[in-house]
Amino acid sequence: MTQDPVDTRAGAWLGLALGITFGLCFATGLWSHVLQHPPDWFTPPPRPAGLYRLTQGLHVATGTAAIPLLLAKLWVVRRRLTEWPPVRSVVHAVERLALLPLVGGAVFLLLSGTANVARWYPWHFYFPAAHYAAAWITVGALVVHVGAKAGTTMAVVRRPGPGPSAEPGERARSDRRAFLLGVAAASGTLVVATAGGTVPVLSPVSVLAQRRPGQGPQGLPVNKTAAAAEVVDAALDPAYRLVISGPAGERALSLAELRALPQHQARLPISCVEGWSATARWRGVRVQDLLALVDAADAEAVLVESLQRSGRYRASRLSGAHIRDADTLLALELDGEALDLDHGFPARLIAPGRPGVLQTKWVARLVLP
Amino acid sequence: MTRPLSDGSTSGRGLVVGLVLGVPVMLVGVRSAVVDARDTHPAELSRWLIGAAAGHDLVLLPVIGTLAWTLRRVVPAAAWPAARAGAIVIGTLALVSWPYARGYGASPGNPSLLPRDYVLGPVVASAAIAAATAVVALVAFVRHRRRIS
Repeated sequence: MTQDPVDTRAGAWLGLALGITFGLCFATGLWSHVLQHPPDWFTPPPRPAGLYRLTQGLHVATGTAAIPLLLAKLWVVRRRLTEWPPVRSVVHAVERLALLPLVGGAVFLLLSGTANVARWYPWHFYFPAAHYAAAWITVGALVVHVGAKAGTTMAVVRRPGPGPSAEPGERARSDRRAFLLGVAAASGTLVVATAGGTVPVLSPVSVLAQRRPGQGPQGLPVNKTAAAAEVVDAALDPAYRLVISGPAGERALSLAELRALPQHQARLPISCVEGWSATARWRGVRVQDLLALVDAADAEAVLVESLQRSGRYRASRLSGAHIRDADTLLALELDGEALDLDHGFPARLIAPGRPGVLQTKWVARLVLP
Repeated sequence: MTRPLSDGSTSGRGLVVGLVLGVPVMLVGVRSAVVDARDTHPAELSRWLIGAAAGHDLVLLPVIGTLAWTLRRVVPAAAWPAARAGAIVIGTLALVSWPYARGYGASPGNPSLLPRDYVLGPVVASAAIAAATAVVALVAFVRHRRRIS
């Protein structure tokens, strides 16, 4: 079967763009995964403080930009769906077989990622785990496909001039260019339409942004409210005590006692896995100072537990590198006021370079693991 | 004289290299899905992966094809590149807007989440894109008419 040469060129350029966007998505997604589930040999670095904000914003933006690229690529190669004979050789059969996990995985990743940002979960699996597994399968299939098609893509990229001999001249080139420009405009439009939750200057035109900068209690968006976490009564209870346990035993501190300890200030972002982020001024007690009360200032890790009785994120592990960072606080105030209940009153963890889900709210205990 | 491209044909040697490097990567994903089965629900995940490919090929692709075929017949040839670009932008914006517009993720107890009007915003944006597209398409059409007259 003769392949339309215009399709081959457009397909090659779109394939290259998809390789870049999926590569960036995979790398930033892996970074998010290892921060949340660090292997034994890896200690998440606290610095730079805004690194996760950048990588996760990039993850969501490149995934969003890939939507028009993927649809255009599949449109350009649509004739191969019905090509005859469907299999010409063993090599061709293997290459076509690898397209199923590639196409299914790529569409699934973009669909599920978009649904997650829109907080729509029409499935029973746990989104991060399924998204993570599907990402490896898709990228593996992409590597197979790149191996099979790299020669064609490189030939197109290296020879942008007059094109294949069968090409019907300037009109076809102009048509292809207009098509690719339309796809690029769609990618750009979607990024602008969704990025306002983390790039405030885009907010007025970000018609699909999940958050609006400055909207929320104390001008900061909230992911999980105290009511949703079922901690309202426990958090407002005057008998609240922060319990710290270590080699020297256990200490229980009331909110007044916490406020009486040396207070420190840090300007740090809350960076959500869904791509939005916002910076605020936090004030509270250094976690290292709290651990020093039980002779655990040099601990290699501490478990920060919430008043929440259940939930995947009711506790988070803080590494030694984070404990020793001067900006890792048990925050009591946000922008000069006591924390709002939805931001973790009476006390919450805030540390540099961590995903928002690990910035445990309504902290009840600091325990050495 | 230009040499014809390989025309989308598969490189056997490249495929072997791709398989050697890519299959282990795929197996990491399969292993993760199986080991973490309580969270990944492998059977359901498999249905979603196959369903995503089938949904695209059997539903979305024919819909896009029908819309493109219809638009191609309505729009003059000179205005087609601009009209198609506008349709791509508006179409993908509409597609991504859908779960927002349906309000699946809205949470009455958390007004900071999904705080916008996700119907009006995309409609206004689409109208602005359509207007800009119409201007560009009209200019292309008039230029074409002047050239041939």
